[in-house]
Amino acid sequence: MSSVSYDQLGVLYRTLLIFATVAVVILAVGLVEFVYFEPPGQVTGAKATIVGVYQYEPTTGMVTGADRSEFPRAGVFAARVDWSSLPSGLTVDARWYDSFGSIEGQVGPDTASNLAGKTIVPVEVPQGYRYVLPGRYTFVVERLSAGMPVEVLGRRFVVVDRQ
Amino acid sequence: MITSTTPPAADPESRLRPLRYRIAIGIAVLVVVALIASSILNYAFLDTIPARASLYGLLAVALITLGTFILVRAFDRDRAARRKHLIRAGVLIGLGVLLWLLIIDVFLFTQSAGAGVAALCALACLPTTAFGLFVVRRMDRNHKEPWRLVLVAAAWGAIVATSLVVWGETIWESSAQHSLVPGPGLDTSLAFMAGILEEVAKGLAVLLLFLVMRDEFDDVVDGIVYGAAVGLGFNFLESISYMTNLYSIFNAEGFGWAAAGIQWYGRQVLGLFFGHATYTAFIGAGIGIARQLPSMRQKVLAIVAGFLVAIAGHFSWDAWATIFPIQNTLFGLLEIHLRTLIMNGPFTAAVIALLLFGIRYEGMNLLDQMRKEAATGRGAILLDEVPVLASPWRRLRQRLHALNRAGPRGYLQVSRLQTAQLDLAMERWHRERKEIDTPLEAEQHLRQRVMQLRHWVAA
Repeated sequence: MSSVSYDQLGVLYRTLLIFATVAVVILAVGLVEFVYFEPPGQVTGAKATIVGVYQYEPTTGMVTGADRSEFPRAGVFAARVDWSSLPSGLTVDARWYDSFGSIEGQVGPDTASNLAGKTIVPVEVPQGYRYVLPGRYTFVVERLSAGMPVEVLGRRFVVVDRQ
Repeated sequence: MITSTTPPAADPESRLRPLRYRIAIGIAVLVVVALIASSILNYAFLDTIPARASLYGLLAVALITLGTFILVRAFDRDRAARRKHLIRAGVLIGLGVLLWLLIIDVFLFTQSAGAGVAALCALACLPTTAFGLFVVRRMDRNHKEPWRLVLVAAAWGAIVATSLVVWGETIWESSAQHSLVPGPGLDTSLAFMAGILEEVAKGLAVLLLFLVMRDEFDDVVDGIVYGAAVGLGFNFLESISYMTNLYSIFNAEGFGWAAAGIQWYGRQVLGLFFGHATYTAFIGAGIGIARQLPSMRQKVLAIVAGFLVAIAGHFSWDAWATIFPIQNTLFGLLEIHLRTLIMNGPFTAAVIALLLFGIRYEGMNLLDQMRKEAATGRGAILLDEVPVLASPWRRLRQRLHALNRAGPRGYLQVSRLQTAQLDLAMERWHRERKEIDTPLEAEQHLRQRVMQLRHWVAA
């Protein structure tokens, strides 16, 4: 069969366009997913006060030293939150995320007034590990709606050294 | 310039060649400007190790870019000038690679895992990536691409594309982490980031090859080969980066090597063809199909379509791979394989479908041209040679027969003759479709080369 009588290039071209249509659908689904988890218009104007991030003593449950943004790997640390800076009826929680995006410590969710006694939020050493994993940690105070975090009211970044 | 050949050349006064060179130069300038800007921005605003590597690595990137350009153009020159240009290219690329490795070792990997670990990770990834490149090149069973261009594609994927994405990904990631709610929304944003920035950076290499080396970029099959080679190069450096990073994270817990090993298996064995190679192969497929399409609108649509599929494939893996839970049991091992198969399998199957269709399409047309050439009676391709040339297995049998009769020298000579005959058929095919801008004399030159090789083989 000659190339003149049956040029298959058109078939290849149309096949690629069909694949591209599927690709557009995939990307559109991704966009919908993004908007679902980051709904627009979720701004209350409330700001949580994160007093600082300190070295943590697990035995006493207290923090010591000065506010820091970098910790050695062997150290454990915790954030201190001033829940009174938020409207009392607001449903909130506070979480530590490690560099892989896993939650490594949390208080809440509950109303800000009910969390008033839980001002210290320590980062947890993962089960089966001796130390916290090195890398960048994110601490967030979030507002929840229908059980889902929809707004970050306060945020801090902390680096845990590899050594 | 030859303008009055009989029959006339397909497009003796092509205006496309200067235009596409101008586009290629434009893209190259943009790439260089982006690299310089990104390095300075990273260094000024982000005091991180990759930022320093990207700044100090600029010279290495420039050397490799210049070296590869001289290398690919060297083969278009006459024999006397070629050697000189090859040496220049070799020295420049060698210096660039050494400098780059030095920078990576010193600034990127040695600080996190140590030079020895970085070297071992690189050594572990070399044979698998080499195997991947070997397989990818062998896929073009009718008309294999030259090793120099396949390696150039892989080098661009490893060095230039990875350098290009550092700045974009750092800025995107940093902005997202400062503004979005951690969790699925942030993960989706980062998946869009990886899909868009990494595929565009890799795709630029394929696009530049298409613009500069049109003679070696014949159709969809070539596009898939070059695209996959760029993807394998990118995967090589990314694997080293992830392996050393995970080693340094988990070494204090006593399983740094296990973490690096799992990463190696996931990226260099299980994901060797399923990940970056598949995504960028789609970009190559789009460019390869565009190569033969008649209208500019269709060309642009095909290239955009290739990029879209690549971005969607990459995005879906990054965004949704975690939907499949991996249990911390022996069954988890099976789940890891199933996840890769389910998430990336359809994309790999689709690109294989395009490849098989492309090979069949190319094969049919080469056969058609070989028959037409044989019918002219000029002697470059004989009628009884056509069935042999049309079949990769029969070509191999012919070469092995020559090996038995005349040793390795005989094998090589028959191989060269077959390649030259296929080159001639390919040239005829492009000329018939009016998608070539070399004068008709180029075809006659190929014919003479076949005759010369036939004479040597006979002798």
